[in-house]
Amino acid sequence: MKARDLAVETFSALDANRGRSFLTVLGIVIGISAVIAMTALIGGINKALVGELGLSQAQLVYININTGTSTTYNDVDAMAQNLTDYEFMLGTSYGSTEATTGTKKASASVTGVKPTYFRAMSTKFAQGRPFTDAEEAKGALVVILDKNSVKMLYGDANAKVVGQAVTLGNNDYTIVGVTESNGESYVGADSVSVVMPFNTAATRVVGNQDVAQIMGFAREGSDMDAVVKRTENYLAATYNIPDDKRSEELYVYSMKSLIDSVNATMGAFSMLMTVVASISLLVGGIGIMNMMLTNVTERIREIGLRKALGARRSDITKQFMLESICLCLLGGLLGVIFGYLGALGLSGLASAALASQGGSTMGIAPVIDLQTVLTATGICVFIGVVFGWYPARRAAKLDPVESLHYQ
Amino acid sequence: MANVLEVINVHRIYESAAGYTHALRGVSLQVSRGEFLCVMGPSGSGKSTLMNILGGLDRPTSGTYKLEGVDVADLSDDEMAELRASRIGFVFQSFNLLPRATVMRNVQLPLVYSDTPVSERVERAVKALHAVGLPADYYDHRSNELSGGQMQRVAIARALVNDPALILADEPTGNLDSATSEMVMQTFSKLRARGKTIVLITHDPEVCAWADRTVHIRDGKLLTDEEERAHHRAERGRT
Repeated sequence: MKARDLAVETFSALDANRGRSFLTVLGIVIGISAVIAMTALIGGINKALVGELGLSQAQLVYININTGTSTTYNDVDAMAQNLTDYEFMLGTSYGSTEATTGTKKASASVTGVKPTYFRAMSTKFAQGRPFTDAEEAKGALVVILDKNSVKMLYGDANAKVVGQAVTLGNNDYTIVGVTESNGESYVGADSVSVVMPFNTAATRVVGNQDVAQIMGFAREGSDMDAVVKRTENYLAATYNIPDDKRSEELYVYSMKSLIDSVNATMGAFSMLMTVVASISLLVGGIGIMNMMLTNVTERIREIGLRKALGARRSDITKQFMLESICLCLLGGLLGVIFGYLGALGLSGLASAALASQGGSTMGIAPVIDLQTVLTATGICVFIGVVFGWYPARRAAKLDPVESLHYQ
Repeated sequence: MANVLEVINVHRIYESAAGYTHALRGVSLQVSRGEFLCVMGPSGSGKSTLMNILGGLDRPTSGTYKLEGVDVADLSDDEMAELRASRIGFVFQSFNLLPRATVMRNVQLPLVYSDTPVSERVERAVKALHAVGLPADYYDHRSNELSGGQMQRVAIARALVNDPALILADEPTGNLDSATSEMVMQTFSKLRARGKTIVLITHDPEVCAWADRTVHIRDGKLLTDEEERAHHRAERGRT
């Protein structure tokens, strides 16, 4: 029997029982939908998180040292020399002042950074550019705002403000760039967030050379947990921090831990969905077997005829197996479609919930990849084979004489 | 003329919960190439059992059945299936067509199981349908849209399509009225004229009138015309 003949037989058999076939595959549809919805949603959330944080943020380690003595940029450079895990390290300083533009006035939170900061944070610019090394070196009066701040100072987040002046404390600064607001800002709703060169901030706003926060940018492919551990050990040794005071005086934290904890939550969720999907697929598979047995009984005469016309046992087995596999694949196809639609709906709900709570604009779009679809297909074929085997063998073993005269 | 089939002292005993049934009791039979043989007998005489054995659907309990010189006892189940696919054409009382399939697909079904190349199938099916005289307009009809006579002619075309050594017909007119029966028998007669070997099983003497030779089967044994007449005389004598 040729593949083409098998395909024709399978199609006409499924076509003959359209209604019943559809009802039977519902179990498979639900099971596969659950699998697809789950993986698409988790994939979407992961992608949104990575998008939100910036891919490079997974390589970022935040370091705070609270031994009482202040840390300067020299300390940061020394660390960068000794900790080979990092591609580079940088420090930021914080200060606050007041921002004025013509008519508007607001309190301003100032962050002093070196130009490498923008690369480490993978900052997205809406307008303008980051600082140059020259501006950093001479402590130029330049600032970068984020969109929220632009909206507060100019009324419109998309106002063209690059090149305009803003007064901070006693000095006028030129705006050289505007960044996309990255999610929740740490500053209050009534204050603007301003980024300026480290040198400028140290001399004009903060008043000293202190580094408030150290960030290390680990080399690509590093084991972040190990990097965090080595960094802690190095700092504890360098600053003579006893073991019992480590948790108070040393704070080393990688963004990967955050992503990991989100993944752990997702893992629990996906376990639950896997259980639901497995039960549904098992029930679906039994449904398939039941329908195939009914099919065999209804078609006993046809099977007898086929045998009389020269069908071998293997021909009959193949015919019924393929029917069962195709049923399952059909269910799988519908499952992929419904699962994706379900994930689309759920992620819409999740995004809306996030937006109403924290004002975050994090959008979750379900992610469906080829591997997921192939896995679902594999599962369907597996179910088709497992639950189609018994009915198909039963059909193949029928006695041609008895089945020809079966009423 | 060479024998197409040869049956030597065949017994068939069925075993069931109710006990043993001795359906064939030492049947011997030869059919030569091109012969149209009618096997006539009442129900329960063992004629269906004989048909199943001749058709390679069942095996003798003892005795020998050779088709074209091949002893079926030596064949595996799959080889028996191949034999049915290529050497035997069945015609059934209840037609046994696939109801939702077209006439063409029904006729091509045996070609599927004999692994005939797709390119040859249509040509052979058309030839077979032409031989049974079904008009070409019906080729794309579903078989359940046809009349009984048309269905049986499609079934005969299906039996012909593999160019078998033997056409086996089991009560082919059993479900047809006399006018349609006549038409179907004419079809068989035409096939006979073209050199086909036909074994037809029936209880109807009128059908057997179309055959070259008639054997009677009664209580699992074959009787010649003479023996059958003697049997009838004895029955009348008793009443």
